[in-house]
Amino acid sequence: MPQDVLQQTYDAIVVGSGATGGWAAKRLAEAGLKVVLLEAGRAVSPKEFTEHMPAYKLKYRDHSPEIERTRPVQKQCYACMEYNYEWFVDDLENPYSTPADRPFSWQRLRIVGGRSLVWGRQSYRLSDTDFKAASRDGYGDDWPFSYADLAPYYDIVERYVGITGAAEKNEMLPDGQFLPPMQMTCGEVRMRGRVKAKFGRTLTIGRAAIVTQPHNGRAPCHYCGPCERGCSTFSYFSSPFTTVKDALKSGNCTLITNAVVRHVDMDSDANKARGVTYVDRLTKETKEVRGKAVVLCAQALESTRILLNSATREYPNGLANSSGVLGHYLMDHVAGGGASGTFDDLNVLPSANPPHRPNGIYLVRFRNTPSSGKHPHFIRGYGFQGGSGPDFNMEAEGLGAEYKKAVKQGIYGASLGAFGESLANFDNYCEIDQNLKDAWGIPALRISMAHGKNEAAMMRDAGVTAAEMLEAAGAKNISVQTSFGIPGMAVHEVGTARMGNDPKKFVLDPFNQAHDVKNLLVTDGSCYVSSACQNPTLTMMAITVRACDHLIDRFRHSDV
Amino acid sequence: MRNHGSEVSLSAQATQSSAVISRRDLIRAALLAGTSAALGPAFSLAQTAAFELTPAQRGEDDSKQLADPNWKPAFLSEDQNETLIALSDMIIPATDTPGAKEALVNRYLDLVLTGESAESQQNFLASLNYIDSESQRLFGKEFRSLTAEDQDDLLRPLAYPQRPSFWLNKDLPDPGVEHFGRLKSMIAVAYYTSEIGERELGWDGSFTHGPFQGCEHPTTTHK
Repeated sequence: MPQDVLQQTYDAIVVGSGATGGWAAKRLAEAGLKVVLLEAGRAVSPKEFTEHMPAYKLKYRDHSPEIERTRPVQKQCYACMEYNYEWFVDDLENPYSTPADRPFSWQRLRIVGGRSLVWGRQSYRLSDTDFKAASRDGYGDDWPFSYADLAPYYDIVERYVGITGAAEKNEMLPDGQFLPPMQMTCGEVRMRGRVKAKFGRTLTIGRAAIVTQPHNGRAPCHYCGPCERGCSTFSYFSSPFTTVKDALKSGNCTLITNAVVRHVDMDSDANKARGVTYVDRLTKETKEVRGKAVVLCAQALESTRILLNSATREYPNGLANSSGVLGHYLMDHVAGGGASGTFDDLNVLPSANPPHRPNGIYLVRFRNTPSSGKHPHFIRGYGFQGGSGPDFNMEAEGLGAEYKKAVKQGIYGASLGAFGESLANFDNYCEIDQNLKDAWGIPALRISMAHGKNEAAMMRDAGVTAAEMLEAAGAKNISVQTSFGIPGMAVHEVGTARMGNDPKKFVLDPFNQAHDVKNLLVTDGSCYVSSACQNPTLTMMAITVRACDHLIDRFRHSDV
Repeated sequence: MRNHGSEVSLSAQATQSSAVISRRDLIRAALLAGTSAALGPAFSLAQTAAFELTPAQRGEDDSKQLADPNWKPAFLSEDQNETLIALSDMIIPATDTPGAKEALVNRYLDLVLTGESAESQQNFLASLNYIDSESQRLFGKEFRSLTAEDQDDLLRPLAYPQRPSFWLNKDLPDPGVEHFGRLKSMIAVAYYTSEIGERELGWDGSFTHGPFQGCEHPTTTHK
């Protein structure tokens, strides 16, 4: 790397090149700011995409012992497969600890694009029922802005990203800027109609960051199926081939890969961040890069870890942590409650051939809404994701020719699985484990989180409501699930540097600037005040654009 | 479910015929040509060490590994291997399409079992041994030496278990049914993830047939 890359002072240092970091780099660089984008992992090339490779070409057909050895945590993620496991972090190099009775599954990637390469792509707006939830039920805190403040940024993000979906005019799930929706199966059409007729609930096709028509130079989805292995046509949104590419194209952004950020450097006299120190992932050399503003987009737990590791004399408990809440209020959606069944009267045979729709259905939250009244056993709510369609029936009984035939005859399944709000709780937190370091000598996290009674009550209710809706739709063989995954399994971790107006209660101000250090921003999921029940990435991206526009404004007024 | 991308378990998107492979590669090359060049060095593989790519990401094709004429079992004994071949052939025989034997289900399972935990290995062997011990008990010889009729007689009750009866107090799981179920599900995975298995399910070798059309019934059909 030429020396001048590290010798100049950038306007902004963006840490992390995933969904939020890509947006920060694009927005700031296109506004004319000089940006350096630091990514802990390597570059990614479309040549390593494997979405069209059949499983029989894999040595172990996705039962690779190598994943078991190097990625015992990452393999818990549905998207970590024999095809792509090298995109996920090596757990041996990236340790963290948890109390024995409070397990947490931290699933992450270090590569340009981060988790946007493998994300589930589901994209839902939050509503004022979410942003003002505390005012309605008295638990926790409101967000420091309302839906109307964020709506223009949702528009910007959706128009660029491309979200397929259908407008529903539902009070809990604001409509957005949608590309044409994907189509529903017969079973889903039936569920949608009966659930509306009997319960007044809204079941809609999934809103997903996949383009269904040519969009910003990207070709529409060709329905091959497994997006998490990459996409030759860039039809699902991932940052490397969209926002990061745009940032680099502007001529104002320098991307440094393999830069594992250790801490933020402070100019203590001025109480300003002056840059960051990183360890080169390959050479293990320590380097410093300087900037007038630092924007952390490393993912909630990772950005929090950087701040905790940036403690100074002035901020002994972690940088920008005069409030004492940094690392606390960790949330991750509770997921698992629901039901599945079969539509035995729908005679559609399964097909091994595409199209494979890379999207499901979404059943909008109906508990504790402005029109539903209060539920007696829990606050907040959950939405369902799922789907219905014919599948091959490997579980068929029997043997021989009859079994082969039964497999192909298939089974028409239907399922609903809940994602529920995780309440903000001070006692769910992460801190630095003083006895544990990663492969670069950087102190690692100790994560302590458990879902509580409210989450458990919600999942019990989800099992019952899913079953009654499937039954109303005519499903047979219904099985109910009320248990739920350990924290981290939803891969929606948020909240560890919460935002709000009061510097004594919140780490970040309403524009994602640290209350304590105004040229230090965190725009990833760390800033969340409450988790809502919708998948968070779309909202994080909108918040990032809003925060960056505010920062650009400050630069224009020479206020950084 | 098949039409949820993230849950597709038997990914059936490419093809074997070399003529079609080249067509697919041409499509892929065309898809990537414009973008790759425009993306520049930040999106190049040049800086990436081979060990930081999975074999699949390096473009390795391991589909022919099991057909090695010098193949020997690594985990199974020769006898166990023969038993597994006989069993898999009863569960998924050749019909108008090839069966488990042709799909080399035994070889795939031997490979996977080699890398499994000691506990999984022991569970598998316990189930395989159960089949042989039943064979000895009922017919006085090992399963692989039975006639097809006797093999079928042995397996059929395990493959079509009776529903538990309250009156007979048969609510305990039948160990034989469990052993058979374990072996059958592993054989089924091995078969249906093979190329033969994918073809058996009707896969035509392509990875795209245009957009998903969904339900095309009149709106009143599913009221």
